[in-house]
Amino acid sequence: MKSAARLIAASVIACTATADYLREEIPLPHGEVMEIGSIALMPDDRVAVATRRGDIWIVDGAHDDDLSQVRWRKFARNLHEPLGMFWQDGSLWVTQRPEVTRITDTDADGLADRFETICAEWQIQGDYHEYAFGSTPDKQGNIWVVLCLTGSFTSECPWRGWCVRITPEGEMIPTCPGIRSPGGIGFNPAGDCFYTDNQGVWNGSSSLKWLKPGSFQGNPTGNRWHELAGLPKPPEPADKSRIVTERERFPDLMPPAVIFPHGKVGQSPTAVIADESGGRFGPFTGQVLVGEQTHSQVQRVHLEKINGLYQGAVFHFLDGFQAGIVPMRLSPDGQLFIGGTNRGWASRGSKPFTFERVRWKGTTPFEILTMSATKNGFDLTFTTPVDAATAADPASYSMDAWTYIYQAEYGSPEVDQAKPVIRKASVSADGRRVSLEIDGLVRGHVHHLAAPGVKSTTGSPLVHAEAWYTLNEIPH
Amino acid sequence: MIRRILILLAPLCLPLAAQDGAQLYGLYCGACHGADGNGATGGQFPPLAGSPWVAGEEERAIRIVLHGLHGPVDVKGRTYNLEMPPQGAMLPDDQIAAILTHVRSSWGNASPAVKPDRVAAIRTAQKQRRTPWTAEELLRDFPLPLEKSALSQLISRSYEWSQPAMPDFAALQALNTEEEHDGLLDAADAPRKDHFAMTWEGFFTAPADGSYEFLLDADDGATLHLDGKMIVEITGIGPADGSRSKIGRIDLKAGSIPFRAAYYEVAGQEVISAAWRLKGEKGWHWLSREHTGIRPALEPIPIAPENGRPVLYRNFITGTTPRAIGVGFPAGINLAYSADHLAPEILWTGDFLDGTGKWLERGTNPSPPAGENVVKCSSSPALPAAARFRGYELDAAGNPTFISTLGQQIIRDHFEATSSTLTRRLSLNSGPPVRLLVSDAFAWELTDDQTGTLGPLELHIEGAATVSQGKPCILELAPGTVTLTYRWK
Repeated sequence: MKSAARLIAASVIACTATADYLREEIPLPHGEVMEIGSIALMPDDRVAVATRRGDIWIVDGAHDDDLSQVRWRKFARNLHEPLGMFWQDGSLWVTQRPEVTRITDTDADGLADRFETICAEWQIQGDYHEYAFGSTPDKQGNIWVVLCLTGSFTSECPWRGWCVRITPEGEMIPTCPGIRSPGGIGFNPAGDCFYTDNQGVWNGSSSLKWLKPGSFQGNPTGNRWHELAGLPKPPEPADKSRIVTERERFPDLMPPAVIFPHGKVGQSPTAVIADESGGRFGPFTGQVLVGEQTHSQVQRVHLEKINGLYQGAVFHFLDGFQAGIVPMRLSPDGQLFIGGTNRGWASRGSKPFTFERVRWKGTTPFEILTMSATKNGFDLTFTTPVDAATAADPASYSMDAWTYIYQAEYGSPEVDQAKPVIRKASVSADGRRVSLEIDGLVRGHVHHLAAPGVKSTTGSPLVHAEAWYTLNEIPH
Repeated sequence: MIRRILILLAPLCLPLAAQDGAQLYGLYCGACHGADGNGATGGQFPPLAGSPWVAGEEERAIRIVLHGLHGPVDVKGRTYNLEMPPQGAMLPDDQIAAILTHVRSSWGNASPAVKPDRVAAIRTAQKQRRTPWTAEELLRDFPLPLEKSALSQLISRSYEWSQPAMPDFAALQALNTEEEHDGLLDAADAPRKDHFAMTWEGFFTAPADGSYEFLLDADDGATLHLDGKMIVEITGIGPADGSRSKIGRIDLKAGSIPFRAAYYEVAGQEVISAAWRLKGEKGWHWLSREHTGIRPALEPIPIAPENGRPVLYRNFITGTTPRAIGVGFPAGINLAYSADHLAPEILWTGDFLDGTGKWLERGTNPSPPAGENVVKCSSSPALPAAARFRGYELDAAGNPTFISTLGQQIIRDHFEATSSTLTRRLSLNSGPPVRLLVSDAFAWELTDDQTGTLGPLELHIEGAATVSQGKPCILELAPGTVTLTYRWK
C-alpha cells in the first residue's frame, strides 16, 4: 500500500514539469498594455520592466510571498521598443531601438527626467524588424548589443547584422559580424557573451551562439560594413554546405554552441541568463537558462568548452507560461522573473502579455544535470542518484544524430542522419554519474539522447528524459 | 569497419513510415494556427478551420508553406497582417504533404489529400522563388473557391460620374447594362477605370428566417439595399482595405428579396466588396468578386499628455527621420524632433499621435502627426556634421531640453508651449558661433524688428544670434541664449 502511494506521487511529479517550481503571475497595473520586453533588478527588491510600447514601470513587492500587494509606479513613457535594461549607479541603462540610453530621476520625484544618449552610432531606417537587444554590463562595463538584419533578410544600413559593444564612455566597438535575427543576449557565469539567433536564412535551426570577439556568427548578409571600421573581411561561406565543412575554410566561423532543434526544443529562443543563485533556484547553478517565445517555455543549457569552443546540451525545463517569453532575470535570492508578449508572434501561452515569477520549492527534480562529451561518448550527471540497474542498461537509452544544411534558404531540414549506438553505460559508485560509451559519434552533429528507461532510486523516471547535445568538437 | 558501415546504413534500412500530419502540424504549425485550427491567441492569427485558402486547388496552400506569405491577407472576413515564414527549406515534400492533408481534412475541412509528388513538382517549378508570396499574387493564380452567390437575376448598369458622393441615378444615362450571371458584384465590369458609378439590381435568396448581417467595403463609396431599405453605406473616398468596412443588419424572412447595390469610383483602385451571414455564423458568404475583410483594433490609441505634463514619444514618426522624438504639450502644440538632424522638423497643433501605427501587430503602419496645421520646417541636418545627439532632460513641468555637442561646445534646445505659441530657447555654452538651420523649407521674412513669417508660421527671434533672411534660414548661435517663438497665424 505504501509503495503504491509512492508510485502515484512519483507519476504526478513526472508529468508535471514544474512540480518542483512554483510559477505565479505578478498582477499588472490595471488597464495598461504591458507587453514586457525588458526587466531590470533594482536595489531594495524593486523590479523595473519596460514594455514594447516603451513605458518603464517600477514595481515594489515582486519579491514578496504575497503578490497581491505589489505596487506599480510609471517611471518613463514611450521609449522606442527597449529590449535590454539594467540598473547601475542610480540609473536605468536601456537599449532602445536607436541607442543606448542612461535614464535617471535626478530630483527623486519618482519620474525619470534625464535621458542621456550614451551611444547612437548604429543606423536605423524605419523598418519594423530593426530590433536591438542589449546585455547587462560585462566585467569592463561594456554593453553588448546585437542588431537584427533589416526585415531579418537584408542589411540596409550600418551595422545591421552585427554585434557591437558599447563602452561606458559611449564608444561603439564592432565585435562580431554574422547576426541574423536575435531574441536575447547575456553572459554565462564565466563572463562570456552569448545570444540566441532564430531559424531562418543561414540558420538551419535556432541556436545559442558564443559572441567571441572577432568571430563570424554565420550569416554573411551584413558583412560589408567591416570596411567602415577597417576590420578584416568576414567569411563568405559557400551556400548549401555544412558548418563543419565551412569551418575548415574559415577558422573565424563560430559554430552555434548549442542548436535548439526546430519544433522539438522550441521555435524562437529569446533571453539568455546565467543561474548564479548559488543553489537558491535549485540544483542548476552555473547553467544558462534560455527563454522560448513560441512554446512559452524556459530551456536549460549546460555549456562546456572543448578545444577552445563552447558546446553543450539543451534540456526542456519550465513550461506553461501565459504568453511568449522575451526577457528574463534571475535575482540573487533565486527568483526568476519572466516577461512575455505575443504581439506579432504567436505563442502557446494565449495571453497578449504576462509578467511571471518562478520560485524553487526546495524539492529536487530528478533530471539529467549535465551532459558532457568524452572521447568515446558522453558523461551524464544527475540531480539525484540513479537506480543502478536501469541506468547501467544500454537499452534504457537511445541516440540519434543529424545536422543541418548551412544555406541561404530559410531554415533547413534535419540531414545526414546517423544512429550512434550506445554500447555501455557505467554508473558511478554514488549513483550520480553515468558514462556512456558510444560508437558512431559524428563531429558537428546534434546528438539527441533519450533516456526513458533510467529510473531514480525511488523508481521515478526523469522529469525530462531528453537532451540535445551539439558536438562541435570531440575531446581527444 | 563493417560495423561502421552498418551504422551509417541503418537509417536507410528503417521502414518508410508514413508521415504523421497531425503530429507535424502540432510541432510546426500549431503555435500560430492553433491546435484547433482556429488561430492562436483567441484568433489573432489566421484560422485554417473553414478557410478557403486551404481548400480547393492545393497549389495555393503548397506555395504558402514552401515560400511563406507576406502582407495583408483576408481570411473568413478578417484582415491579418503578419508574416508566415517559409517552410520549404526545412520541411521535405512528404512532411508538407502530410501537414496539408491533415489541415485539409480536419476541423470540418473536406478537401482531398495532398501527395508528396505534387509538392515536389511545385517546388521544382517555383525553384526561382526567393521571397514570400503576397495574397494578391496567389489569388491571381488561384482564386479562392467560391460558393454560389445568393444573388440572382443580377443586372449591372454603369454611369459616368466624377463626384466623391453617390449620384442621383435617375438623372443619369447608363453607359452600359449587363446581366451578371455569376451573381457577383464587380467594379471591373464597368467599361471605365475612373470617374464612374454603378448599380446592381436583382434578388437575394435568404435561406431562413433570421437576423442577417451585411458586410460592405468600397473604394470609393457604396450602399446596399434590401427590400427597398438601405442597410449599410460607405461614404467619401478612400481605400477598400478593411479600414473603412461596415456591417449593416436586417431581419429577413426566408425567400427571394429585392436587392440593390450602388457604387461610385473617383480615381485610383476600383473595388466593391460585399458579403452576408446569418447572425452567429463565423464566416461570410461573398456577394462580390473582390473580398476585403475587417481590420480589427484600428480604433485610435491616442497618445496624449498626462497629469498636465508634456508627453514624449520615441518611435518612427512619418515625415521625419528614424530617430524621432515626439513632444506633445498639454496646450495642444506638438513637435517631432529629429535626433538625426538635431532639429524640431515637424510642428503641428491639436492631437499629438496615434499608437495604432507602431503599437499594433508588427508596427508596420505609418504614424503621421494626428493633429492639424502640420508644418515641416526642415529636412536636413541643423548643425555641423560633427555634432552629436546627447539626449534630453525634462524640467519640473516636464518640458524637454534636447542636448547636442560639437566638440567641447554644448547646444541646449529647450521647448515649452502655450495654447498658441511654441517657445524654443537655444543656448550655447562657449566657443565660436555655431551655424544652426532653422528652416530649409521657408525663408524668414521680417515684418518688424524681430518678428517675421516662416511659411505659415510667425517667428519671433531675440537674443544672442544673427539670423539670415532668405532661404534657408540659418541662425548664427553665439555663446548665450536666443529665444525663438513660433506662432500659428
